[in-house]
Amino acid sequence: MANQLLKDTLTIVLSGGQGERLYPLTKDRAKPAVPFGGMYRIIDFTLSNCLNSECMNVYILTQYKSFSLDRHIILGWSGLFNNPEMNQFIHILPPQQRTGTSWYLGTADAIYQNIYNLEREKPKRVLILAGDHIYKMNYAKMIEYHVERNADLTIACVNVHKSEANQLGIAVVNDENRIVGFQEKPKRDPATIPGQPDQCFASMGIYVFSTEELVRRISYDARQESAHDFGKNVIPAMVNDGARVFAYPFKDENKKEVAYWRDVGTMDAYFDANMDLTRITPLFNLYDDSWPVRTYRENYPPAKFVFSEQGPEGQVRRGQALDSVISPGVIVSGGTVIRSVLSPQVRVNSYSTVEDCILMEGVSIGRRARVRRCIMDKGAQIPEGMTIGFDANEDRKRFAVSAGGVVIVPKDVCL
Amino acid sequence: MTALGGIRNRGLKGRPMAKLLVVDDDRNQGQLYKIDLEDDGHEVTLAASGPEGLESLKKSRPDLIVLDISMPGMDGIETLGKILAQDRTLPVILNTAYSNYKNNFMTWSADGYVVKSGDTTELKNKIREVLKARGIVS
Repeated sequence: MANQLLKDTLTIVLSGGQGERLYPLTKDRAKPAVPFGGMYRIIDFTLSNCLNSECMNVYILTQYKSFSLDRHIILGWSGLFNNPEMNQFIHILPPQQRTGTSWYLGTADAIYQNIYNLEREKPKRVLILAGDHIYKMNYAKMIEYHVERNADLTIACVNVHKSEANQLGIAVVNDENRIVGFQEKPKRDPATIPGQPDQCFASMGIYVFSTEELVRRISYDARQESAHDFGKNVIPAMVNDGARVFAYPFKDENKKEVAYWRDVGTMDAYFDANMDLTRITPLFNLYDDSWPVRTYRENYPPAKFVFSEQGPEGQVRRGQALDSVISPGVIVSGGTVIRSVLSPQVRVNSYSTVEDCILMEGVSIGRRARVRRCIMDKGAQIPEGMTIGFDANEDRKRFAVSAGGVVIVPKDVCL
Repeated sequence: MTALGGIRNRGLKGRPMAKLLVVDDDRNQGQLYKIDLEDDGHEVTLAASGPEGLESLKKSRPDLIVLDISMPGMDGIETLGKILAQDRTLPVILNTAYSNYKNNFMTWSADGYVVKSGDTTELKNKIREVLKARGIVS
């Protein structure tokens, strides 16, 4: 039964956002392709959810700067999904311009421009996901919920405390979880969940649509003056018309007390979500075999830590990493790494210290360099003796610095 | 008074009047539509293929397009996509001998779907309805 429901469902992952607030990490790549947690790209979490939920018919809609995203999906994910015998696939779709000469104008327009593909597949329902959120979710349960309620649209919603509602799109629900209204970033008195007076339902941007309803709605919206956005235009119109729109309470597969769902839309949110992984008990569990997170990985030798000279601190060479997440291919050669996330092929040289940092692939930290609270994009080479993260004014002269004071060292920078 | 206004005034009392583009590969049928729709007070331009229709759009924007689906070369569904690519707000009525295209999602972007029959009453009614809904005639 469940299996047939999934076979009749097409999954579309929206991966075309520009991720402007993550600039310069998104200077040369789309937000879903931004590295995360040392080994992963942001989109891996959504695609792992698809695989673990057995949603095996997947389109990925890309547009801006899609090269590294395309490459990652082709190398890392095609083999896990594509099986023509079973009609299972993962396809990457850039804008086709069959019904417009523009790139995707909004989330609804992205689907509208691919109506030809919906026509080809004729699925009974469509699961629409964002490719740039970090969470664990079994979409099969949501699809069952949608079918049981004979819904036109089901929206996954996460519980948030009402004090956080002013940052989010809040669903107004009745006691059967039917959505009767929407509040966009309500400044005061957000609608709470019936029976839970301090909790609100925030939309996660995850939708299950019955296909005919979806096509009818986006075809209409496409012909109107509109932002062509599900959250702003299409869904409010459906709720106003009395369509059967339901909230699906997010069931977290992360197995922690508090549900984990992160947009990582800002540099500080991105930094914090990475730093969480270095804690003794992180909020987000990468080590649960029952919900594996997969990625594309090149073949690297094991991580290595060398020099263990004896003597007073600071005067002897010791290669060590503490409270850190270290990927294969890393060599910590006589330097010290604390509370940091290191991607493959990072090199940390003698007498240097790295604290509270995200170092992406191929970053090299020179001898006696000291770096703190930095995000270093791929290939950055930090010269011998350089200090970053200790003098805010100096840092601002050379680098982008987040609101929370995190220094971003751009890709392949020469200093 | 502009030339356009002059034409519009030629319409019969109380009837909608608009500039229509009819795209149909059957030229004889096109002529019949022209006579019938002009009789209804409209100004009608004919095009005998998708590309010809798109070419006509570049010269002047009609108030509404009546579009055949089954045509050699570029069919009406592809033409519809290209029309909307140029101007998403342009009203289009699909006018076809076949009802099975109704299930094709691409046709759902049209403002109307009329199955061709011996007389043009249904087409005329649909044109009026769409022009009214779009606020082109009152």
